[in-house]
Amino acid sequence: MKKLTLAIALSTALGLGAGPTLAATIEEKIDILQQELETLKAELVKLKGQQQTPASAQSAEAQGPSQGSGISFAGAEGSAAARNAIPGSSTLGGYGEMIYNNYRDGDVKDQLDFRRFVLFFGHKFSDRLRFFSELEVEHALVEGGEGAVEVEQAYLDYRINDAFIVKGGAFLIPMGILNETHEPPTFFGVERNEVERRIIPSTWRENGMGVHGEIAQGLHYDVGVVSSLDAGKFGGPDVGIREMRTELREAPAHDFAFYGALNYRGIPGLSVGGSLFTGNTGQNGVTDSALKGVNARLTLWDVHGQYRLGGLNLQALYARGKLGDADQITAAAIARSGNASEIAPSAFWGYYAQAGYHIPVGAEMEVAPFVRYDRYNTQASVPSGLNANPKNNERVVTVGVNFKLHPQVVLKADYQNYKEDNSKDRFNLGLGYMF
Amino acid sequence: MKNRLRAACLTYWVFLCVYAQADEQVYLAPEVFLAEAFGTPPPPTVLWITAAIQPDVEKILGHPPSKLRQRYWSDGIKTAWILDEIGKEEFITAGFIINNDHIEKARVLVYRESRGGEVRYAAFLKQFEGAQLSDQRRLTKRIDGISGATLSVWAMDRMARLALYFHRQAQK
Repeated sequence: MKKLTLAIALSTALGLGAGPTLAATIEEKIDILQQELETLKAELVKLKGQQQTPASAQSAEAQGPSQGSGISFAGAEGSAAARNAIPGSSTLGGYGEMIYNNYRDGDVKDQLDFRRFVLFFGHKFSDRLRFFSELEVEHALVEGGEGAVEVEQAYLDYRINDAFIVKGGAFLIPMGILNETHEPPTFFGVERNEVERRIIPSTWRENGMGVHGEIAQGLHYDVGVVSSLDAGKFGGPDVGIREMRTELREAPAHDFAFYGALNYRGIPGLSVGGSLFTGNTGQNGVTDSALKGVNARLTLWDVHGQYRLGGLNLQALYARGKLGDADQITAAAIARSGNASEIAPSAFWGYYAQAGYHIPVGAEMEVAPFVRYDRYNTQASVPSGLNANPKNNERVVTVGVNFKLHPQVVLKADYQNYKEDNSKDRFNLGLGYMF
Repeated sequence: MKNRLRAACLTYWVFLCVYAQADEQVYLAPEVFLAEAFGTPPPPTVLWITAAIQPDVEKILGHPPSKLRQRYWSDGIKTAWILDEIGKEEFITAGFIINNDHIEKARVLVYRESRGGEVRYAAFLKQFEGAQLSDQRRLTKRIDGISGATLSVWAMDRMARLALYFHRQAQK
């Protein structure tokens, strides 16, 4: 037996390295051995079948193909079969992007930034129980309050069946398009779109529990209860409620929030959906005592769609938010910062529409020019007696191109024109990858 | 009232657990796939991934092949291939029937990823039917992707191209 194993190993090694004539001969021999093995296997299965009583044979059938001659018979040989047979394995992945911003306004600092370096770790405890995580380093270095090391996701998924998967831990809120799918080769433009940054505060994750699954062909739901935002952290109305994110660190747990999302992806090329997030954000004044007893209810929703027809790629999204007790949040924010422009919105909204065209180049490369129009107002409504900053009522046109060296590696270039705040006009270059 | 709620929850949980036992995420048994292709399947045969064809396989997959040989089934005209490729972090097992250098049928046999399972539906798989391999080893038909399932779609595309390439090699 040992000799046979050695012979097969030697033959295999020679088969790869030797010339075509010799390789063919050895391969033929191994082929014969393979055929003999197959015959023996078939006979063994037949013999086993004869030994079983009809009742036990029926029970084996009911247990599904993985118990019998299913996957292993099928030729899912090598690593896949081994992986399937050994529940409990870890996986590694990641993505990252480097971005160059060149502003038209000479007073604004141009920069070349390694914006994100993200490592993905996953572990499969069993076919039903899995762990997912993403660890991110922002701006390459954490020093003097700049840059960040963040747990972007870290949650467990327990699959009861395809329609009912329970998750718990720190996970991304299923809102909009970009929040859950934000690897650089998957979106147009060097910078992420403005609406999913200033209205939906992507990348947005919370601690909590949820249930998700597919309830009909291509129809996915996701609902849950999570930690809410913290109105005591409000700042920078140009980015809406973004600063109110707790980013998972000792998140205050006085107020919780509910989220729900429904998406349909049953027709190739088409994706439509919507989502809702609602909850109080006062957190009983734990961050700013001025907000003790204040509800500061936030309700944010969105509808979105994507459609690919041939090379054409269309995408649009509308999002709208309402923040209660904006007057008290504003008073607290101004008292904290001493800055009278820190005015919290009682309503904010935004939408964008985007069109791109994918042109294949060679075996795996691709050029994809695109255009996007972002329209948003982060202070659509402010507490009475206060004035919104007109620069927060913005229109942005972005024109550019994505060039894929490989389906998972992208070079990007674009130009962004801001109608209200010209100091933001810029030319961007980017490099991104995912694996 | 509370007891009723508890009983309802318990019943639902038991139902889910029992239902869950039957679910293995194997959407099509390989035997059934082969029966769809041939009626009575011919015995399997083997294509060697020799040093001569390995570079092409590597170009199609974007990584070195994990096997030295690939099992397939052939009735002399059409061939059937069962292949595995990683989407994001798990293997997708898919079956392809190739006839006269065209994809006759594509099926997903086992899907193990947590997202992107729409690739197993007929609406997506039908797009592969009739596709051939171009000189640049792309599919001659454009395959519309699925939002949120990009990596699974790419894996299916790689496997489809590999099945067409393997068919060509097997016919030599």
